[in-house]
Amino acid sequence: MTTIQQPRILGAGVDRVDGPLKVTGQARYPNDVNLPGMAYAAVVRSTIPSGRITRIDTTAAGKSPGVLEVITHENADHLGEAPATFIKNPQPPLQDDVIRYYGQYVAVVVADTQQNATAAAGLIEVDYDRHEAILDPHDPRAERIKDPWGEDTAWGDVRTALKRAPVMIDQTYTTSENTNNPLGLFTTLASWDGDTLTLHDSNQWPNMIQQVVAAMFGLPRDAVRVLTPFVGGGFGAGLRCWSHIPLAVMAARHVGRPVKLELTRPEMFTGLGHRTSSINWIRLGATRDGRLTAIEHESLTTLPLDGDEYEPCSSVSTWSYASPNVTARDQQVRLNIPWTNFMRAPGDAQGNFALESAIDELAWEVGLDPLEIRLLNYAEVDPKTGRPWSSNALRQCLEVGAQRFGWSNRNPEIGSMRDGHELVGYGVAGVSFFWYQQPCSATVIVRGDGSAYIRSAVTDIGTGTYTIMAQLAAGLLGLEVDQVEMQLGDSSMPVGTAAGGSGLTAALGSAVHDACGRLIKKFVELAGTDPFSPLADVPFGDVEVSEGRLFRKGEPTRGESLARILAVHGLTELSAESTSTPNSADQMGMTPAGARGARFVEVRVDEDLGRVRVARIVTVNDGGRILNEKLARSQILGGTVGGVGMALFEDTVTDKDTGRIANATFGDYLIPVNADIPDVHVEFVGEPDAFNPIGVKGVGEIGLVGVAAAIANGIFHATGKRMRSLPITMDAVMD
Amino acid sequence: MREFRYERPATVAEAIRAVAHDPEADFLAGGTTEVDLMKDGVFHPDLLVDITRLPLRGVRRNGTMLQVGALTTMEELAADRTLMERAPFVVEALLRGASVQLRNMATIGGNLLQRTRCRYFRDPAVPACNKREPGTGCEAVNSVARMHAILGASPACIALHASDVAVPLSALDAVVHIQSEEGERLVPLTQFYLMPGETPDRENVLRHGELITAVDIPLPPEGTRSIYLKIRDRASYEFALASAAVAVIMDGPVIKEARVAMGGVGTIPWRGFEAEEVLREAPATPDTFRSAADGTIRDPFVVPGTAFKVELAKRTLIRALTEVTS
Repeated sequence: MTTIQQPRILGAGVDRVDGPLKVTGQARYPNDVNLPGMAYAAVVRSTIPSGRITRIDTTAAGKSPGVLEVITHENADHLGEAPATFIKNPQPPLQDDVIRYYGQYVAVVVADTQQNATAAAGLIEVDYDRHEAILDPHDPRAERIKDPWGEDTAWGDVRTALKRAPVMIDQTYTTSENTNNPLGLFTTLASWDGDTLTLHDSNQWPNMIQQVVAAMFGLPRDAVRVLTPFVGGGFGAGLRCWSHIPLAVMAARHVGRPVKLELTRPEMFTGLGHRTSSINWIRLGATRDGRLTAIEHESLTTLPLDGDEYEPCSSVSTWSYASPNVTARDQQVRLNIPWTNFMRAPGDAQGNFALESAIDELAWEVGLDPLEIRLLNYAEVDPKTGRPWSSNALRQCLEVGAQRFGWSNRNPEIGSMRDGHELVGYGVAGVSFFWYQQPCSATVIVRGDGSAYIRSAVTDIGTGTYTIMAQLAAGLLGLEVDQVEMQLGDSSMPVGTAAGGSGLTAALGSAVHDACGRLIKKFVELAGTDPFSPLADVPFGDVEVSEGRLFRKGEPTRGESLARILAVHGLTELSAESTSTPNSADQMGMTPAGARGARFVEVRVDEDLGRVRVARIVTVNDGGRILNEKLARSQILGGTVGGVGMALFEDTVTDKDTGRIANATFGDYLIPVNADIPDVHVEFVGEPDAFNPIGVKGVGEIGLVGVAAAIANGIFHATGKRMRSLPITMDAVMD
Repeated sequence: MREFRYERPATVAEAIRAVAHDPEADFLAGGTTEVDLMKDGVFHPDLLVDITRLPLRGVRRNGTMLQVGALTTMEELAADRTLMERAPFVVEALLRGASVQLRNMATIGGNLLQRTRCRYFRDPAVPACNKREPGTGCEAVNSVARMHAILGASPACIALHASDVAVPLSALDAVVHIQSEEGERLVPLTQFYLMPGETPDRENVLRHGELITAVDIPLPPEGTRSIYLKIRDRASYEFALASAAVAVIMDGPVIKEARVAMGGVGTIPWRGFEAEEVLREAPATPDTFRSAADGTIRDPFVVPGTAFKVELAKRTLIRALTEVTS
C-alpha cells in the first residue's frame, strides 16, 4: 500500500523548507546561540610537530583582563577514553605533555569576552623539548600499516595476467592534501546544569558527539544533549568528536558558566582533519583492442600518530570495470601531522583520479576513443562476486553525457583543437561510487489537526535532508509538504546516523518510509475498532491514502481523515517509530551498486603560460531515485566545484621542517571562485535502486569524483602532457 | 583585549603630528592591510590615527597630469574617465587588484604601502622573518615558496610586493607627495621603494610620521596603447604570480616608445628599464619581445618553488607586448 511504485526517478524540485529561515538569518547555527552568563574560550596550539612541553607559563595570561580560567595539561581534568564510533575519535586533550603535531591544543583560556580570551591566549609561553618529527611519507622511520582495514582484495592472477598482457600501463598518480573548509566556523557551546550537559555543536552526527562526550566525562548518555539543528557545512569535517569539543566542556565545568568555543579559520585547518595525500600505483593489463585483463592498484595514504582513518583509495578498482584479474591494496603511514579525516568522497576521490587517468592512458595506448574504452569495459555484474548490481546506469551516464556534451565533435588528435592562444581538450571520466549505510531511527507523528511531524537525531548539513524527508513523508501520508514538520539535530530524539558517506538519505529515508507504513497501519487498525467507521471492515491492504484521508481503494468516498480518526478516539496524536538497517548483499542476492556517473569536460590550456581553464562540464549521474531534483542538482553542482578545486587549486601545504600548515587561510589556500566555474550541465539517469525500499542512492559526494580525472584527461588531449599529480598548476603544464 | 588608542584629527597637520610624536603610532586609512595585520598579531600599534576624514580624496586633472588624493579609493580611481581613456592599464590593474568590497575601502595611498602576502611574515608563530623581526632570518627561503619574489630577492628576504596598481604607476613614473612636519617632498614611485638588502623591514623611503597625501599620474600621450596582464592560478581574487604593465606608442610596425613594469616577481614593483631600451625604435616582433623579457628578468634569485616564475614572467611580458602591439 505504501510502497513506491513511481517509475519516474525525478522527484519534484520543491524549494528547501528551511530556505526562508536561512536567508532571513533565523536559522540558529551553533555559533549563533548565546546563553546568559556565557564565557568565551580561546585555544593555544603547539608550534612544534613533535616533542614535550617542558614549561608552560600562564602567569601573564591569568592576570590578563577578563580572564576567568586558564587550563593546560597541568590542571586539566582527567578524562575517560574516547570510544571509537565507526572510526576512532581523538583521545581527550591536555592529558599529558606530549606533542604529536604542529597545531595540537596545549591550553585553553576562558574570559568574559572573546577578545579578552584571544588576547590572553597570546600571552601564554610554552617551552618545548623538540624531538625530530616524521613528516615525509617516504621517511623510512615512519610506521607503515599494511591492509589497515582487512579489505585488501584480490581475484584471478594479476601477476600472470600482467606478464601476458599485450598492452600494459604502469604509472604512479599522486594527490595533494586538501582541507574540508566548511564555511561555518565550528563552534561548541557547552552548558552544564548539575550533572547534565547541553552542547550546541557543529557536527554531522549528534549522537556520536553525545556518546563520545558522555564517555570522556563519565556521564550516562542521557545526561548529554547535543543540539545541531543547522551546521554551516561539513564535507566530512563533522564526523568525529574533535578535541575542541571536550575542551569547551571542560572549560564550562571549570568556570561554572556556559562556555562558547568558536574555532578560527586557521584553527579549522589543524583541528578538524583534512583529506590525506595519496600515492597510487596502478598497473593495467589489456588486450590490443582495449579490453582489461588485469588491474593492480596500490595506494599509500597518511595517518596522524594517534589516529585512524578509513580511506581505501584502491577499492574503486574493484567495482568500476570488468576485469578477470584484480589486486587492490592499501597502506597507511603514520606522520607527525594533524589528523587526516574524511573529506567528501574519501578514498574514492583520489582512487578515481588514478584509475580514470590510467584507463585514459590505456585508451591512447591502444588507439581507442576514451569514451569507447569505458563502455567496452563496463561491468555488467559485480566483477568481484559475479552478483547482479542493485542498479547500474554507468553506461547510460556515459552515453547521455557524450550526447549532451557533443563528444562526437572531438578531433581525436592531440593538440588539434585550438582557439587563439588556447589549446582545447575534451576529457572524460567514469565514476563508480561506493555504498555505505548505517542503522537509523525516526519517529513519525500525526497530530490532531491532521498535520505530521518527524523526529530524528540526525542533522541536515545543508544537503536538504529537512526537505526531502518532508517530501517523502508527505507522499506516504497523503499530505502536502508544508503539513509535515521536520524536527532534526537533537541527540535526544530517535537515534540517528551520520550525515555522511552519502548514506543518510537511504538510512533515514528507509526509517521514515517504514514508520509511515506502520503509522498508516495503526490508523487502519484504530479505525477498525470503530464500528461506525467507513473503514471498519476494510483490510489494511485495500486502504489508500490521499489528501490526509484514508479510503478504500477505488472508492474515494468510503474513508475518513486522519484527523477525524484521532478525534473519534480521543487522541491528540498517533506515532510510529522505525529503525532502518541496511540490507545484506547476501540476502538480497545482489551487490549494492552505489551511485554512478560520467564527467565530460572541455579544458582550455594557454599554450605559452600553461594556465588551465575549464570551459564547460557535463555531469551525468545515476543516483537511483532522486527525491528532489533541485536539491540533488545542488549537491552535484557543489561537488563539481569541489572537484575543480581538487584538480586545479587545493593543496594544504605543510612546512617540511616544522609541520606547520603554511597556507591555513582563505587567502592562501585556494578554492575555486565563481570565475573558475563554467557552465555546468547536470543530469540524472537510471532507475530506482533495488537495494532499499525507497530506491535511492546517495548523491552527496559523487559530484566531486571524476572531475579531476576528466580535467587531466582533457589536458592530455589538448597538450599531449599527462598530468599525474594534483593539483595541476601552470608550472606543471608549462613547457 | 589588546588595547590601543584611536584618534581622528581634523587636519593633515594634526594627523602627522599625532603619529610623528608617538613611535608606536600608525596611520589608518582603508584598513585593509593595517587591521588584518593587527588581527593576525603582526602589528601592535599603540595609537591609530584615522585619516579617512581628511580632505585628501578625489582626482583632479592638472594639464597632462592626474593628481590623485591619497584617500581616493581604488574604486573611485578605477571609475575615472580620463584614466580610462589615456591609461586604461591603470584601471585594469585596479580592477584586477581586489574585489569590489576591498576596492571600496582601500585607498591609493594605502595600496602603495600594502604589506607583503608572504605567509611567513603574516604568521607571528613563525620565529624567523627579517621583515617582521629584523635579524631573525627568513623561513620562506627554506620552506614552501610560490607567491614570492625572484627579482630583488636574497637569502634574507623573498617577500613579494603584491600591489597591482603600483606596477603601471611605476611604468608611468608616477610621483608620490609626502608630507611631514618639515614640509612636503616629492619622490618618484620608481625611487619610493627600497630593495630589501640587509634591512627587509624597511620597504620604502617613508620616515615615521610622514604621510602620503597624493600621487601624481602623468598621462601618456594620446594614442598610447596600454595593457595590464595579470597571471594567477585562479581566475580572480588572487595576487599575481606574474603581471606585466606595458604602454607603447607605435609607429606602424615599429615601437616608438615603451614603458614596462612587472608585478608578481619583485620585492618592489619592477620597472623594466632594460626592456624599454630594447623596445624603443624596435620592430614589434617575437625576437624583440624575447630580448625585452630577457633584459627585464635578469639575475633572478630563485628557490625551488619559484624557479618556474623566471620563464613564466618572461612569457607574461611577451604576451603583453604581443597583445598591445598587435
